[in-house]
Amino acid sequence: MLLLQQIVNSLMLGSVYVTVAVAFTLTIGILNFLNFTIPTLFMFAAMIGWALAYWGLPGGLTGPSYWPVALAVGIIASMIVSLVVERFTFRIMKTKYGDSTEHAIPLVSSLGFLLIIENLVRIGYGTDAQRFPGPSADLTMSIGGIFVRVPQFVSLLFVVVIVIGLNWLLRTSRLGRGLRAIAENPDAANILGVDMHRIVPVVFMLTGLLCGLAGALFAINYGEVSPQMGEDIGTKAIAGMVVGGLGSIWGAVLGGLIVGLTEVMTIHLFGADTVQVAVWGLLLLTLFIRPQGLFGHSAIGKGKL
Amino acid sequence: MLLDVSRLDVNYGRTRAVKQVSLSVREGEIVTVLGANGAGKTSLLRGLQGAVRPAGGKILFDGTDLTQAPPSARVRNGMMLVPEGRQIFVSMTVHENLLMGSYMRADADVSRDMEAIYDRFPNLAERRNMKASVLSGGEQQMLAIGRALVGRPRLIMLDEPSLGLSPLFVGKLFELILELNKSGISILLVEQNTTMALEVASRGYVLELGSAVLEDDAAALSNNTALTEAYLGGGHGPAAGGTHAHA
Repeated sequence: MLLLQQIVNSLMLGSVYVTVAVAFTLTIGILNFLNFTIPTLFMFAAMIGWALAYWGLPGGLTGPSYWPVALAVGIIASMIVSLVVERFTFRIMKTKYGDSTEHAIPLVSSLGFLLIIENLVRIGYGTDAQRFPGPSADLTMSIGGIFVRVPQFVSLLFVVVIVIGLNWLLRTSRLGRGLRAIAENPDAANILGVDMHRIVPVVFMLTGLLCGLAGALFAINYGEVSPQMGEDIGTKAIAGMVVGGLGSIWGAVLGGLIVGLTEVMTIHLFGADTVQVAVWGLLLLTLFIRPQGLFGHSAIGKGKL
Repeated sequence: MLLDVSRLDVNYGRTRAVKQVSLSVREGEIVTVLGANGAGKTSLLRGLQGAVRPAGGKILFDGTDLTQAPPSARVRNGMMLVPEGRQIFVSMTVHENLLMGSYMRADADVSRDMEAIYDRFPNLAERRNMKASVLSGGEQQMLAIGRALVGRPRLIMLDEPSLGLSPLFVGKLFELILELNKSGISILLVEQNTTMALEVASRGYVLELGSAVLEDDAAALSNNTALTEAYLGGGHGPAAGGTHAHA
């Protein structure tokens, strides 16, 4: 029973990793680009949400009960920041100094955005963790003797719906086909009329949306936000993505859950200090045994997503 | 005049691959562009489709200036390029590949056109839900042409469609080109298989080192034996071999 309880707990934790890992894998799969601003977007949505809930929204919407509105604004803010990042890292820097095979410029400039935004938030709000005035995280229900915290359970359902929706978008819609075409062969996609300059911002908007949602879910579930909250989540989501296989959405889902499980079980068995060792040990082990990850393609760079 | 190109310059990296080329395709015509490897044929087609932005000159399609327009605008106006090496999407199904041809179409008749493609290519219909990677080279070429057709083009530009195909498939391919042309689609054909290309085309241009050095009726070009020697790098033999693929 205790084991089952731990598995349920890890599912809940893993759902946050899953959302961020999916954001990473989306950008890698479509644009072949490790977007380092992702942890910052995650933090940004939560911090803006907290600040608005704390100091009040414009129009006199003050008071903790407006937290859902505050988080929604935070998510939108994170999408806007993501679009700004696209302008600079991808459109301006890459077209000016790189070519279609250039990966280092977007990667390094996105890392620059990570550090700048994180430190701006630190300057604005301080480095302390802040209490988020959301719903009571202690609200629990019991299913057959297993305790489930209600907000976490709702988040998990939310994540499942989002991943299924994203997958549906990629598989069946015109936009999704365009994205997959760019992922596999940008040149052939271009010739058929898929416009990179129109579709790349969509990828970044989806990234901002996923990260913002993950940040909001985190704020609700753990009742605490801070300027450095993205760092830990970011590294674990990258580990989850690699374990699942680069560019695979379902791989990111499974990888994120596995990382959540590894974390909960390691804490349970060996204590919190060993978590990073276990998670990154798992990542290295995956690279040794199955470098393409659980669901990845053996030939990296071909036919992703 | 459907396609009217004047003094077109196209760069390939830092070198000028196409220099001051003027050419035209009339409605309903098959025009071929010949030339040795590296003569600039592929760059010419990529410049025409907008995959590379032309460095100079003018491209008029049915009177509309598309010189600096993105490929999406060219596709919307009815230009379609079937690129060298097919460039189909191997991670997608056959059906999804065909749908990519309709990317710029907003009307509701796409599914009817798709069925017409399947009627024309039964091999593709049988494999419509399989990954395109399972197709043979010939079938992949049919898929690439089918994908272009779903876009309802008025002009199809084919870049070396016979490359790597078996002699049997080359014959089928040129039959298909004639059929498409009869159905009203104009064709700009880049080929190394000079013999076959001149058999189906009404006019031809010869490119050398990026410049158009010769323009004539296909029949006149076929009889011009000095041509093959001088510009096409020889090796293609006299116009006798019928359906044989190029060397």
